[in-house]
Formats: sequence, structure tokens, C-alpha cells
Amino acid sequence: MRRQLLTVLLTVVSAAWFIAAALSFVDARHEVSEVLDAHLAQTAALIMVQWDGDGDEIETEHAPVLHRYSRRVMFQVWEDGEVLRLHSQNAPNTPLSRVRQRFSETTIAGSRWRVFSTWNARDRVLVQVAEQFNERDELATAVARNFVLPLVITLPILGAVIWIAVGRALRSVTDVNQQVAARAADSASPIDVADAPVEIGALVTNLNSLFERVQQLIEQERQFTGDAAHELRTPLAAIRAQAQVAQGAADDAERIRALNGVIAGCDRATHTVDQMLTLARLEPDAVSFHPGPVDLGVTLKESIGELAPVALAKTMDVGLTNGSGVTVFGDAGLLAILFRNLIDNAIRYSPPGTAVDVAVDATESHARVIVTDAGPGIPADQRGNVGRRFYRAPGTQAPGSGLGLSIVQRIVDLHRGTLQLDTASTGIGLQVVVRLPRVAE
Amino acid sequence: MRVLIVEDDPLLGEALATGLKQRGFAPDWVQDGREAQTAMRVEPFAAIVLDLGLPGLAGLELLRSERARGNKVPVLILTARDAVQDRITGLDGGADDYVVKPTDLNELAARLRALVRRSKGEPAPVLRMGNVIVDPAARSVTVEGRSIDLQPKEFTLLQELMLNAGRVLSREQLEERLYRWGEEVESNAVEVHVHHLRRKIGSNVVKTIRGVGYVVPRGEHA
Repeated sequence: MRRQLLTVLLTVVSAAWFIAAALSFVDARHEVSEVLDAHLAQTAALIMVQWDGDGDEIETEHAPVLHRYSRRVMFQVWEDGEVLRLHSQNAPNTPLSRVRQRFSETTIAGSRWRVFSTWNARDRVLVQVAEQFNERDELATAVARNFVLPLVITLPILGAVIWIAVGRALRSVTDVNQQVAARAADSASPIDVADAPVEIGALVTNLNSLFERVQQLIEQERQFTGDAAHELRTPLAAIRAQAQVAQGAADDAERIRALNGVIAGCDRATHTVDQMLTLARLEPDAVSFHPGPVDLGVTLKESIGELAPVALAKTMDVGLTNGSGVTVFGDAGLLAILFRNLIDNAIRYSPPGTAVDVAVDATESHARVIVTDAGPGIPADQRGNVGRRFYRAPGTQAPGSGLGLSIVQRIVDLHRGTLQLDTASTGIGLQVVVRLPRVAE
Repeated sequence: MRVLIVEDDPLLGEALATGLKQRGFAPDWVQDGREAQTAMRVEPFAAIVLDLGLPGLAGLELLRSERARGNKVPVLILTARDAVQDRITGLDGGADDYVVKPTDLNELAARLRALVRRSKGEPAPVLRMGNVIVDPAARSVTVEGRSIDLQPKEFTLLQELMLNAGRVLSREQLEERLYRWGEEVESNAVEVHVHHLRRKIGSNVVKTIRGVGYVVPRGEHA
């Protein structure tokens, strides 16, 4: 990056400078030509005025050197355009130019000259003044050189300054790079770059906030894994203890009871694992959410049908009031999981012989599914916690994974719906209200 | 030995109660921290098996408050929390042992016996009184090298008296140590057990202090 920047900067700077030099060369040449042409014409006019008709040869050698360029000038005076009456010492005997009017160019003794020809008023006397072209080029070149020279001197200095400045600016980038490279994957510490430029500072800030979010996610996962291990240990401990009780049972009744305990423990561990997997599949990066119109009546009937045997085993009554024909916009598979969890919870936490009611009502935009049980309910101050993974309200007797309402909450969120827990209108039991949109947003 | 199991999980609590009963303990089981606190204050348990995540009153709070009141009963924490910090917090909170679920019932029983032994200042795993040797782990009794077959209650009675050697235990105290809650107790049950015990191991081990109770005199320690 440093080399790239340097190359680009130096290339652009020198190109710009050279173009400027070239332009000024052309411009200088043009201006010099104008000035020297005028000078040439003026010289010719002066010679013409000074011509008295009887001169012989002007000692140009002795003419005062007015300027270092002046010696590259020569002239001729032709009478009637044919007789060379006067010329500078360096001038040939032949006409300086065949063109006898105004400006022309000619080659004399291998070098190029600019010639100005002029006639006196009666067209009797022709004066030709020539000046070497080199002169003009040298002048223009000098102007251009004056342009290029500072560049040649300053370019290396400029390069060095850019190199150092870019290096200094990039030091914070290098610093960030080293800190990121040396980072442990789960490190929570922010990157610290002293005197970072604004742009790098923004990068560092964003990186740090990303690290923080990743850290939170890792922490969440760690917590979940820990909770999961914790939740599985108790059923495993129960299975082991029940199995040992069966081994040491004094009679068949005790043995059978213990073995039933083993099976119940396995079922519970399986349920917990199932719920964990369901929840894992609902993780933002893993969930497959394919919403479409879902008939609540059909889905609820299926869910209730699946759980009916469990309810019957507890001599409980589970029923659906209305709901046919009400469609919501959602994912049928996920909604089935949602309802199964709600109804399973209601059955699980209700005493035998009570009823679980599932009802549906709908407005233009939303539908509500209301599941009411006659269980112990959830105290108002605990309701905020039930969405937490593995949270179980204190005193909960019925076996459960503590994940059911986490799953429900997650699916409700995916559907942009709401979940509300209330005391049932009878004053006993829990009423869960899930509100789902009926149309795609 | 009366032990109190404090475990809110029904399946595990039941298995622990049954399993420890099979292993010669007289376990009582509660699922709630407050109930546990009440039980600990009124019953002379030899040891407590305590879960940490409890409804009502968390296990650690219960333990701390009981220790603060001067309750010296040996407490074994049985929990799913396996982090080192949890163990440290548990032990520093007043627990005598810390076991992570799942556990072997035999190991749990052995740890409880060890806790009880130490709490009685009796580090030897077998109890001796003259030529009578009681092995609580094997639940065996020998007299002059002869193995004696005792009924569970008779064994527990002898064990309790020997663990409390030199201390007179009243009939009520012995009943509390012998019988779990809800177990039916005949009015003269202790006398009957003592009678049977004496017949099996000889009459000079368990002394009757008339009107007070029974005692195994400490002086006869071998």
C-alpha cells in the first residue's frame, strides 16, 4: 500500500509537472518568437533608417555587445534588391533569404535562421536581418528547464516525505493488523491503537464492537451448553439411581417401579435433547423460514390430535373452539411446533382431570391463538423470565426441559407476532395468547 | 441412620430415597427448600443430601442460614453444577462434601457413612465395643468373630447406640433415628428391638437406664 501510494503519487506529480513544463515550453517558444520577431523587424527598421547610401561594411565585430544573444544576428542591405551594399561581418554574400518580404526561414551553413526582409519606402533598398533559430529554442528550453529543474530537485524530497507520512499513517493499520493476528478467538479485550487517524479509528471502533458482539454470542452459547449439560445431568442421575435401585430391589414391585423410573428418566432426557435440537434449529443462522398462508384450524387440530393421548392418560380434556378457515401468514412447520409446545405445556403443568382450551379469534390483520389451562399458572413477576432458555418457574413440579416457552417465543418472533402470558379468566391457570399476522408485511 | 434428601426432581428424589433405604439408611425426602429447613430444625438427621437448585429456598442459602444458626449436621451437596467455583462456593458455604450428578448410589452411601463417622469423632470405619464389631458399610455385626444376623431395625439401633457411645438415648430419640416419616411405630417397638438385639449379641453391650433410655458405655472401647 505504501509503495502503491508512493508510485501513484510520484507518477501523477511528475506527469503533471512535465505536462506543465511541456506546455510552458511551447508557450515560451511562442512568446519568444513573437518578441524576437518584433525585435528582428525593429532591427531591420533601424538599419533601414540608419542607411545613408554610402556605407561600406559595418563592423559588427566592434558593435557593442548589448546582450549575449545579439551576436547570433546578421544582416544585409541590398540596393535595388541586387547589389549588396552593406552586411554584417558574419553574413554571406548571397541573399539571406529568397523570400524578400517579411518573415521567412532559411538554412545557412547548416543552421536554421529566421529572416526578416523589408523594403524602404521607394522599394529601392532591401534590408534582411537574420537570427539563428537555436537562439529561440535555447530561450524556450531555458524557460522549460527552469520549470523542470525544481521538480528534479524536489521529487526525491517529495518522495521521501510521502514515504514517511504514509508510513506513519499506515503504522496504525499495521498495529491493528498485528493485534488482530495475535488475538485469541474468544478474546473479549478491545483493540487499542494509539493516535489512530480518524478512518482507522472508525475501523477499530467497528472491529471492537464486532468483537464484543461475537463475545456475547460465544458467552450465550457457553451458557447454553452449560445449562444443557446441567439439565441433562439430573435426568441422567435419576436414570442411574433408579437403575441401581432396581439392581438392589428387595421385591418385584420395587424393581418394576425403579425400572419404570429408568424409562421415565430416559424419556425426560430425550425430551430435553429434542427440545434443545428444536431450539438449535431455530437459531437465526440455521432456521428455514418459509412463510405462506397457514390454516390455523387445520394446524391446531393436528397438534391437539398428536397430544390427545398424553391428555387422555392424565384424564384431561383438550378442545378447540372455532378456528376453522382462519389463515395466518407463517411457516406451517414452525407453527405446528409452536402450538405443540403450548398445548404440551398446558397439559404438562395442569392437574389431572382438568381441561385445556384452545381458541382462535381474528381481526382483519391478525389472528390470536389462546391456550388456557387450569394449572398453577405463572406468577406475574416470573412471566418475563419464561422465555429464557432452561428457565423453570420456582416450585415447578412437572418434569420439563425449561425450553418450551423459549421455543414458542423464538417462533413467535420469527413471525413478528407477540406472546402474552396472563392469568386465565377463571382466576386459576395460565392463559397464553399468541398473536400472529394474517398477511405478509 | 436418618438422612434427609433435599431434591426437587421427583424421579431422582424417589430413586435416592429408595436407594439409600436399600443401603441401610432411613431416608426422608423433601422437594422444597423451606420444607427442608423446617425438617432440619426439628429432626435429628445424621446427614443431609442437598441439591442446590431448589424451589422455595436455594440450597446454598439454606445451608448458610443453618450453619449460621449453629446447625452442625453433616451436609453433602449433590448437584449438576460441576464448575470448580461452584464446588468452592458450596464447600465454603458449609458443605462437608460435594458430589456432582450423576453419582453412584453405593458411593453416595459410603460418603454419607464417612460424614456421619467423622461428625461423631469416630474415624474408624468399623465400630467396636468389646468383642462386638459393627461394620456400617457391610451392615454386618460379629461377636467374638461370629457373624450375627440382625434385622435392619436392630442393626440401626445398635449402630446408633454405638455411634453415640457413652450417651444415653431416650426411647423417643431412638424412634426418631429408627423410623422415617409416616412409618408406623408400635408403642413398645424400641423395647422389642432391644430385647431381640440382646438375645443375639449378649445382654452386656446395651445397658438400660431405667426411666431414661439406653446406652452403650464408652469405657468398654477396645
